[in-house]
Amino acid sequence: MGSVGTGRKWRMRVMYCLLALVILYLQLLPLNHVPRGWAGPDWLVVLTVTWAIRRPEFVPVLAVAGVTLLADFILMRPPGLMAAIMVVARQMMKRQSQGLRDGTFANEWLTASAAFLGIALLNRLFLAVFLVDQPPLGLNLMQAFANILLFPAVVFLSQLLLGLRKPGPGDDDTLAGAT
Amino acid sequence: MAKDRTQGEDYIGPLKRLLLAVLLLCLLGIFLLWRIDSPRVERFRAQVVDAVVPSFDWTMTPVTATVGLFRDFQSYQRMREQNAELRRELQQMKAWKEAALQLEQENARLLDLNNVRLDPRLTYVTGVVLADSGSPFRQSVLLNIGERDGIVDGWAAMDGIGLVGRISGVGKSTSRVILLSDSSSRIPALIQPSGQTALIVGDNTVAPYIDFLENPDKVRPGDRVVSSGDGGVFPSGLLIGQVATDPGGRLRVRLAADYERLEFLRVLRDHGQDRPDTPGGIVRPSTLLPDETDLIGPMPEEAQDG
Repeated sequence: MGSVGTGRKWRMRVMYCLLALVILYLQLLPLNHVPRGWAGPDWLVVLTVTWAIRRPEFVPVLAVAGVTLLADFILMRPPGLMAAIMVVARQMMKRQSQGLRDGTFANEWLTASAAFLGIALLNRLFLAVFLVDQPPLGLNLMQAFANILLFPAVVFLSQLLLGLRKPGPGDDDTLAGAT
Repeated sequence: MAKDRTQGEDYIGPLKRLLLAVLLLCLLGIFLLWRIDSPRVERFRAQVVDAVVPSFDWTMTPVTATVGLFRDFQSYQRMREQNAELRRELQQMKAWKEAALQLEQENARLLDLNNVRLDPRLTYVTGVVLADSGSPFRQSVLLNIGERDGIVDGWAAMDGIGLVGRISGVGKSTSRVILLSDSSSRIPALIQPSGQTALIVGDNTVAPYIDFLENPDKVRPGDRVVSSGDGGVFPSGLLIGQVATDPGGRLRVRLAADYERLEFLRVLRDHGQDRPDTPGGIVRPSTLLPDETDLIGPMPEEAQDG
């Protein structure tokens, strides 16, 4: 493990948690009380999947679980379910990330899209099995598609602002430290 | 699974997988627990929210105010038209005010005639809206008053005019109000003037629809919808809104509360209504001896004697 690796890795992990808190905070701002009839992207999901697909070592499983569980509690979702799904998604993205390292961006986008749809459908499936009241399917699908559309933007922004890019041939040992 | 791993992961791999499995089990366990024993987990949720949200409340207010400022700025561009519009409306309002004053006087006279006392126990606590639900699937707001201020689950929250929702989830210093537009909101209501009872069911739209209406023909758009107090959930007679029909012909309620601006909410203290829970005692003449009171049989004889 290189000296650059550990320090930066921990900084980015803290950064992930901070960004997640900021997203939660912005979502909670009491700006709109009227039901909108449309659903924007779920920034937290997009952020997690994007980082997991590019640099899984920056989004450790425990951080994903903790952050999403907090979001579950605060956003009045069934607690634990989304957190479990996100942990699974993060693991799968991590496994994909090794293959995608040399792939094109389109390939990456397709994988992420599959992940977003999978997350939405798995969530609905679980809620249906446990007979929980559900929001309309349209809203869920709208949110999944909004996530897909947001993915390139998040990739671009995190590359521009935080220097998050796919690991190059030089720093391949960073993956070994991933949890 | 671990076919093409780098060599470093070979011995920590199984341990990690075990930890992952434990983590997943924990998370799904929380979900199952929530499904089985919802009230307890919801209470825990209220505590979590109570611990987290007020800590950044002080930043929320300026940010919300700033965003509000920008939104208002957009409307400054239409200031001239708005001004004219407001003048016109003010003119109409003056006429209405006159009518209202007359009605108020008349109402006061009538109340005086009937010797009516409005319920003195119906008092309220006012709270500030801290945060909204933060998700497009849920409609709720968080107030900055809670158990500390005596808030109890199930009380009604109103803005100045109409019903907004009900308290669901009370923390120490925060409480959550499920809005009428939330898809889990069900409020028993009375539609005036036809006097029919119905259920106001939220479905994640601006106007909740009216369900379980016995005779929809008697209800017209514009009728008043007030809470009926059935089931002891709410005090009766709180204004909810007006009946309206949507393009599909379904009856909905146009809410009286201004959902665009929920800043302060009143939470009505409700101590429950006294309702008869035993059958009434027998009304008898006062000359009857006390030990004969529980005998129902001899009553006709007594009556003949008297």
